Amino acid sequence: MELGLDVRQVDDHSVVDVKGEIDVYTAPKLREKLIELVSEGSYDVVVNLEGVDFLDSTGLGVLVGALKRVKAHDGSLSLVCTQDKILKIFKITGLTKVFPIHDSVDEATSSSE
Amino acid sequence: MPPVEIQIPPQPEFVGVVRLALGALGRSEGLDEEALEDLRTAVSEACTNAVVWSEEAGSEEPICVGWTPSTEEIAVDITDSAPGDPHASGNDSDAIPSRLELSMSLLRSLVDDISHEELEEGGRRTTLVIRKSPSTA
Repeated sequence: MELGLDVRQVDDHSVVDVKGEIDVYTAPKLREKLIELVSEGSYDVVVNLEGVDFLDSTGLGVLVGALKRVKAHDGSLSLVCTQDKILKIFKITGLTKVFPIHDSVDEATSSSE
Repeated sequence: MPPVEIQIPPQPEFVGVVRLALGALGRSEGLDEEALEDLRTAVSEACTNAVVWSEEAGSEEPICVGWTPSTEEIAVDITDSAPGDPHASGNDSDAIPSRLELSMSLLRSLVDDISHEELEEGGRRTTLVIRKSPSTA
């Protein structure tokens, strides 16, 4: 099972487009990519989850870790997600209060959060 | 449908195999899409915990996933052989929950009943129950 990761720049944000399933096997790949972005000086990050078919606690943990890293540089991490089955995971765990979640990359990159 | 048992090595790449199998089994029991997703996620969480605990303990014993359907419910038990108490490692008091806390939160919300049993020979069994009919309040 592969996880697809593509990074692009939109305005001042690094947008990570994720495709596939984020679980205990694939989450480390996402983690490494997010660490790499921060180490390169990208502190305003948008993670696009529209192509994600599955997300579990390891995926959530990776996103939380990345949030902490960008916050340490006064940066931001927001998410793009409209899929009910993925939004449900954030709602159950209370992480909708932690992450700004947007309906589109445009909305995420134009938001001041 | 008779009970089914799946054994996987305690390695991350095999948790997805369990999800695939559970998806097929759940569809054969007539679960709707939302119930199916809840079941797949819950079982995946329990298997992930078993893999993580096994890796931390250095155990190479397989993880067993048992599927036991009945007319009223589906019971799935996930058994590992990792020694020690995986719940003993605490959070660092951060306001944001740890991965295990997030996992337990998902497990409690996605299934109708959950139980944990420590096994005499070491390891533990987590049993998840999903009722086929809506739960009564």
